[in-house]
Parts: sequence; C-alpha cells; structure tokens
Amino acid sequence: MEMRERVVSLDPTDKAVPAAGLQMLIFDRLVRFDDSGRLQPGLAVSWQPDNDRKRWEFRLRPRVKFHDGYPLSAATVAGALQRLLAGTATVAASADSIVIQSDHAIPSLPAELALPAASIAARGPDGTLVGTGPFRVSRFDPARHLSLAAFEEYWAGRPFLDAVEIEMGRSPRDQFVDLQLGRADLVELSPSEMRPATERGTRSWNSAPVEVLALAFGQGHAPEDPRLREALALAIDRAAIHNVLLQRQGVANGALLPQWLSGYAFLFPNQMDLVRARQLVAELAPADRSLPLAYDPADAQARIIAERIAVNARDAGLSLQVTNQPRTELRLVRVRFTSLDPVAALAEISAGLGLPEARAIGSGRPELLYNAERSLLEGYKAVPLFDLPETYAAGPRVRMWLEPGISRMGWLQLADVWVEAVP
Amino acid sequence: MTFRTRLLGIIVLMVAATVALVSWIVAGTTRRAFERMDDARTAALVGQFRREFDSRRAEVVRRVDGIANAPSTLQIAIDAGGPNPDLSRYVDQAKPLADAQGLDFLELVGNDGAIISSAQWPARFGYKEDWILDPAADWRRDRAFLDNVQLPDGDALALVSVGVVEAADKKLYVVGGERVDQQFLASLVLPAGMRVVLHRETGAAPAPVDRTLGPIIDRVRRERREAVETVGESAAAETIHAIPLLGRQNNLLGVLLVASSRRELAELVQLIRTIGFVAGGTGILVALVLAWWATARVTRPVQRLAEGARDVAAGNWNASVEVPSGDEIGALARAFNQMTHQLIEQRDRLLQAERVAAWRELARRLAHELKNPLFPLQITVENMKRARERYPDEFEEVFQESTATLLTELSNLKQIIGRFSDFAKMPPPELEQVDVNEVAERAMSLYRAQLGTPDRAPIVPRLELTGSLPPVEADPEQLGRALGNLVLNAIDAMPNGGTLTIRTGRNSSGVRIEVSDTGEGLTKEECERLFTPYYTTKAHGTGLGLAIVQSVVSDHKGKIAVESEPGKGTTFRIDLTAIQP
Repeated sequence: MEMRERVVSLDPTDKAVPAAGLQMLIFDRLVRFDDSGRLQPGLAVSWQPDNDRKRWEFRLRPRVKFHDGYPLSAATVAGALQRLLAGTATVAASADSIVIQSDHAIPSLPAELALPAASIAARGPDGTLVGTGPFRVSRFDPARHLSLAAFEEYWAGRPFLDAVEIEMGRSPRDQFVDLQLGRADLVELSPSEMRPATERGTRSWNSAPVEVLALAFGQGHAPEDPRLREALALAIDRAAIHNVLLQRQGVANGALLPQWLSGYAFLFPNQMDLVRARQLVAELAPADRSLPLAYDPADAQARIIAERIAVNARDAGLSLQVTNQPRTELRLVRVRFTSLDPVAALAEISAGLGLPEARAIGSGRPELLYNAERSLLEGYKAVPLFDLPETYAAGPRVRMWLEPGISRMGWLQLADVWVEAVP
Repeated sequence: MTFRTRLLGIIVLMVAATVALVSWIVAGTTRRAFERMDDARTAALVGQFRREFDSRRAEVVRRVDGIANAPSTLQIAIDAGGPNPDLSRYVDQAKPLADAQGLDFLELVGNDGAIISSAQWPARFGYKEDWILDPAADWRRDRAFLDNVQLPDGDALALVSVGVVEAADKKLYVVGGERVDQQFLASLVLPAGMRVVLHRETGAAPAPVDRTLGPIIDRVRRERREAVETVGESAAAETIHAIPLLGRQNNLLGVLLVASSRRELAELVQLIRTIGFVAGGTGILVALVLAWWATARVTRPVQRLAEGARDVAAGNWNASVEVPSGDEIGALARAFNQMTHQLIEQRDRLLQAERVAAWRELARRLAHELKNPLFPLQITVENMKRARERYPDEFEEVFQESTATLLTELSNLKQIIGRFSDFAKMPPPELEQVDVNEVAERAMSLYRAQLGTPDRAPIVPRLELTGSLPPVEADPEQLGRALGNLVLNAIDAMPNGGTLTIRTGRNSSGVRIEVSDTGEGLTKEECERLFTPYYTTKAHGTGLGLAIVQSVVSDHKGKIAVESEPGKGTTFRIDLTAIQP
C-alpha cells in the first residue's frame, strides 16, 4: 500500500489526523460508528449514562489482549482515557468496566470516544506502542515505511492478510503508476488520476466527503475589512474548479459541515456573484485589495486551486499573490474530520480552520447546529469551498467479501481484505 | 621682442596652423569614410539580426504546427467537437506539450474561444481569448506575431503563433509562443560589438532600460517607425537602430534596440588624433629647431647691420659689417659699409676744410690784429725819418714822442700775442666745491661798473638766482672767467642798451647757468659757428672768448648751448653736474 502523507507518529494522543487511518488498523476504541452514523460496540460491549448524563459506565469486552499478549484491563483503559479527558472528566476503573464522571453533562461522550484520538494504546515492556487492533506494528520507519503484521489473537478474529507494507510520501502520480505496474495493491487516488483510473477499469473506493477544502483567514492577521473577505468569497467560481480541477470529485459547499452530515448545507450559498464582488472591491482602498494566499507546498492540487482562486479574485479586482511560503493572512487548507457526529465534526473543522469554538450547540439539534455554523461563518473568517472524499484504488489482486474496502469515513477495512497469490 | 623672436614665432605659428589644418582635414575625411563603413556594417548587422529574428519566428511557427499536427491534439479537437464535450480532462495537457516543443507559452483554445488548457497559467482554464475568434484578426495573415501574454504575475512579451486544428466544423486553436526577453535576445547569434536591448511598453510610467536610450525610445513612441541615432560619446558611443515591436492591433508593445558599438571607430579616430598630435608636435618641434637655425641665418646679418649702425651712431665711423652673402641683406651691408666709408671721407674732408678755414681766419685775424698796431709803427718810423731829414733840430723831440708811440704799439702787439698764447696754454681746472650763485654774483658785480658808463646806452643788470642749489665741482676762477666772457659778449651785443640777465637754476642732473641779453641776436649759421676758435661777429674781437668759454665748460664735464633769434636776443646756457650729497 502507498500513501501521500508522511506519518511520523502512531501515538493516538498526538491527534495527528494523517495517522488516523493507520491508527484504526492498530488500535481499538471503546465504541465506533458504523456507516449509518450509529454507535457500535468496540472494546466496550455496552455503556450506560446516568439520568443527567454526567456519569457514564462502560463495560469492557472480556478476553481482549494487547499485541504484546497482555490482557486489556480496565485500569489500562482508564489510564488511556484519563489522558484524553484530562480537565473534562475523571475516569475510574472497576473489575470489568470503567466509569467516567464529570461535573457537567457530557451527552456526546460516546461519540468522542469513537474518535481515533480515543484509541486505547499502551506501552509494552520494551516501550513499544501496542494496541488491540487487527494489526500489530512489526516495523516503523517514521515518515517512510510502516510494516504491519496480522494480530493472531485479535478479539474479532485474525485478519486475512498476514502483513501490510505501507510506503509513505508517495505522490499521487507515483502511487497511480505503481498501481498500474503492480508495485502496489492499494493506493490513494487524487482527482487528477481519477479519470484515467476509471478509464483503465481500476477499482476505486470512495468515502463520503470527509475533507473540507476552505480558505481560512488567519486570526489576528486577517484583513480587517470584512468586505474584502466577502468579495473574495463571492468571486470564486466553485463550479469551474469542481468540474475541471477536481474532476467532479466531492461537492461544492458553502457550509462547514457537508450536506450528507448536516442536511442543511444547501442553505449556505456557494454561487459566484462577480457583480457584487466587484461592488465590494470598489468600496475598498486600492492598498487593501491585495493579500497573499498561501497553500501547502506538498499539496500539488492545492497550488492549482489557489491559482484559480487568484484568477477569479483578479476578475473581481482583487490581487492575490499565491505563495507556498507559510503566511497566515490567508491560507488554502484541508481539514479532515474524523467523526460522524456533526457536533464533533464541526468542532474538528472549526479548530482546523482556526475558527472559535462553536457555542450553544447543545445536544446537536439541527437548528442549533445550523445557527452555530452560521455564526461561525459570519464575517467570512473562513470560506468553505468543497467537501472532498477519500479515494483509494485497489489493484486486481485485492479481494474482499463486500466492497468497498473503506468505511464511509474513509477508514480502510483491511481486516476483511485478502490478496490473491501471484500465479 | 627681437626681430628674430618675432620671425621665429611667425614661423612656428604657421607650421602649427598648417599641421592642425592638415590633421583636421585628415581626421575629418577619415572619420567620414569610416562612418560610412560603420553605417554599412551596422546595416549589415541589423539585417543579420532581422534574419535571425525571422528564423526564430519560423521556428515558433514550426513548433506550434508540430503541436497542432500531433495526434493527441487532434484527439482533443475531436473531443471538443463532440456533443457535450468534457474538456476538463485536458486541463493539464498544454504544459507537457509546451515542454515537449520547447515553447514558453501554450494554450489550447476551444471553438468558443475558451481556454481548455494553459501551460503558462493553468488556472486560467475556461477564460475566453476572444481575439482569436475575430475573423479579421491579424494572426490569420501573419503566422507569427508579437503579443503580450498574460501571466499570473503580470504579462510577458512573446513571439506567438496560432495553429488551427479542425475537426468537422469545430476548431481547436493552438496558441504557442516563445518569450521575448533579454534571455531570448541573448540566445540570438549576434555579431561581435552588437547588443540588443528590449524595452517593453508596460503601460506604466516609461522606464527605459538605459537613460541614454530614452530619447530614441520616445521618438519611436511618437513616430511608430524605425529610428537610427547615435548615442553616447567617444568609445562608449553606439549606433542605435530602434525597431518598434507592434502587436496584433498595431499597438506598440515595445522597442527593440539594436546597438552597434562605435568603439572601433572611436578608437580609430582617437588613433588618428593621437598620430596627428604626435606628428604635429614633432613637426612643430622640428620647425622650431629649423626656424631657430633659419632665423639665426637670416637675422645675423641684420643684427650686424644694427650693431654697425649703433657704432656709427656712437661715433665709431670706422664700423663695418661683414656679410658674405650676395642677397639683399649682403647688398644692404655693402651699402652700409660704403656709406660709413663715404662718411669718414666727408668728415676728413670737412675737417680739412674747417682746418684750412680756421687757419685762414686765424691768418685774417692775425693780419687784422697785427695791422692796427703796425700801421702806427710804420707812420711813426716814417715821421722819425722825415723829421730827421727835414727837421733835424726837432728830431730829438720827435724821436722821443715816436719811441713812446712805438713802445705803446709794441706793447699792444705783445698783448695780442699774449692772448693767443693764453688760449693755447689754457691750464687744467683746479676743482673745488663751488656755489654757482656766488660765481654769478661775482661776475655780475665785476662788470656792473661798465654797464652804466656814460659813453654808451645803459644796460640793466639782473640776477635771477635760485636758492639752495647744490654745489658743483668747479674751478671758480675759470668758471668766473667763462661767465665774464659771456657777460662781455652780452654787453657788446647790446650797443643800444638793454637788459643783461644772469639766471641760475636746476636741471635734470645738476645746475644750470644762463646768461641772456636783449641784443640783436644771432642767425642760425652764426650760432653753429659761434664756438669755433677765432670766429667772431664783432669788428674788434679775437674770436677766442666763446672758444675759451666752451673749453672751460668742457673741462668741467659740462655742456654749453646757445639759443638765439635775430632781434630777440641771445641766451647762453651752461649745464654742470652737481655734487651728489
């Protein structure tokens, strides 16, 4: 398997999103979301809150072992979660369960515990990081290579694959070439390779749009005049970018949460209005019509999208200097959310875009969520552009009972995959 | 300034002027000839540059055609011509095509003028290039033209060609080009000594690449046609061919400045100038030496003549000039020598004549002086002889009277002879400090008694003496005697009475004594001969008085002059050197 990101740590507490997909192969969480967004048992077989949802008790699955052979204990789980929930709640362990106690209601606790960051990990006697997932780490060369081996004593049954070799830092083009040449069985697909992959009959697995591509104005460094930010938001031709540069992958969106997750994203306009944009720009002083637009230099697609945005902005009378230098005034960023829970996802996206924490979301009722999102987008401190899926291409040797091999959230389901031997 | 120096200066000036004129003419002629050659060379260089530029145009056309004729491009045209074409798959197509053909710019433009793919600005897909749809567009006539290509960070001047790929009734336009900048120009094969500068019209304030090129750029801006000018000076000078770079709509996109260095010409002119200076300097130096020699040859006889003339003027009449040449100077020298010779002969003859005249005068005077006492002597002796014969008794008485008369007349003869003897035996003066005023007063008082004698008309004496005169070194006796002679002369000159004035005063070097009368005066001829010994205008004079005066004055290193006119009296003026304090 090959991937573009360079993962430097597998520790769940690092909360490094690029590692989340791999963490899902190595570690388990107490609960997990299914593709319908419902919580399913993980290391916890059941969970029960009290009436005011301040106290939650999770009963642990019996006979679960870590990769180093040690049994999963309530104390280990409590210790791992205490680090995650420090300052929010206390975690206590009993014989076969843990109790999480807070002084305020925490109705979204199970959803939070389904996040990759809530993976249960422990340190072995030799200091190596071990989990209870279907694969164990046999070799890890940070940012370059990861070797996984099947965990024979996995509580849900041994995976079909004996081992998984993961090459990191491979460009989308190289990954596609390696897939075509049979050097890789599973690769990530970028939109630019989507069409040739399809034309070649390559199997591709798409997740739901789980990545938000947006413009983020830096906190404290953003242009003070909101008319500039609004003009830029109105000048962007999302349709052209979606059709050409993204090869119709993902969806254009003017909201933070994708339509499939919130259900109300269509209420946020995302159409270009060049006339209005020009009017706003005309009201600006000439010196305020220029600013840099930074993009991730490792993201080739981001560069061309940023340049296209600069072209659109120029039509409105704005001058954007596209740069791959780390500038904070305006950035084109990708935010990958990992939760199927809208509240948790919105929090992830807001944090990723540098927006303030959403307030008064409450229990996640749609109208409250909508208001919170509307509030976040007021002033155009962030301009959502697209929701993009994660796409993988599988080689002809890859087999599984039920395709696709990834979850709706984009997590690889390698435990159910096998590879045919080369004849 | 001497004649020789003047002559030398004139010759050197003439030589220098001649050398300068010749150098100027040679330098000017040579420069014009080389300028014509340089113009021809520059024209050839510009022509070579144009051919090179045209070959690059053809190369761009060839490359664009290469892309337009490629099967992959035809496939794009076919896809674009189909119903509901999805051209997004070709958004990245232009860059590899441009790279493969070595083009800086490439755009694939659809039938509607929308950019399908852009190599230089990939993000500009979908934007329209409306100019390409204009049926009367110039690009359809000119396969390669200049245009401003839009880039993310501005625009760039490019040599652009448009290729057309037709699929059914739809067209795909391949717009490719090569950037025209200094790098492009540097890649052209340029002859040595030539440089090419590109000035772009950016629409902003004109900023010529070189300040010296500003005027010619402005000229091309105004006239919209080629211009040729020479800018800079000396070795940095260049002949600039300014070629307007016109775009599709005949708009001025820039100015191409083809500069041909005039360094070689400037160095040649400088060399000619240096040679001119060296040759001129050498010529002037040689001319100086030759002129020195020539003027010496020419002026030496003249100098000798001048020296001879000065000697003659100084009284050396024996001076002669030796000039061996037979030219005019030699003839002049010979005439000079002949003239001095004749002068000497005339002087000798004059001296001889004067000597004879003087002797004759002396003889006449002596005869006259001696005849007066001799006549009574003869009468007395005849009386004595007659008395002895006729009156013997009275002879004794007559004898006594006659001998007394004889003695008297003999005494007169002796006196006459004594005066002549005195003049001959004038003693040298015994010099001492003398106050001329005292001498003048003494002379006047000595003869004052004679002025008022009743037997003659009265003469009024007058003394006009200047006080505080410096003393002179003189013999007071001889000086008084000289003044006395002048006073006597003045008395004799005024038989009808008048005024006798003795006047003293200062002159430039000492003191002056003047003795004036109001008598009848003298003629010019009389004045000239007045100091000649034994010359007198008086009936009973010896002619020695003024000769003695002149002798005394001369012995005192002084000068005597006379000023007189008939009827207005006579003034004698004696100038003596005063003793320096």
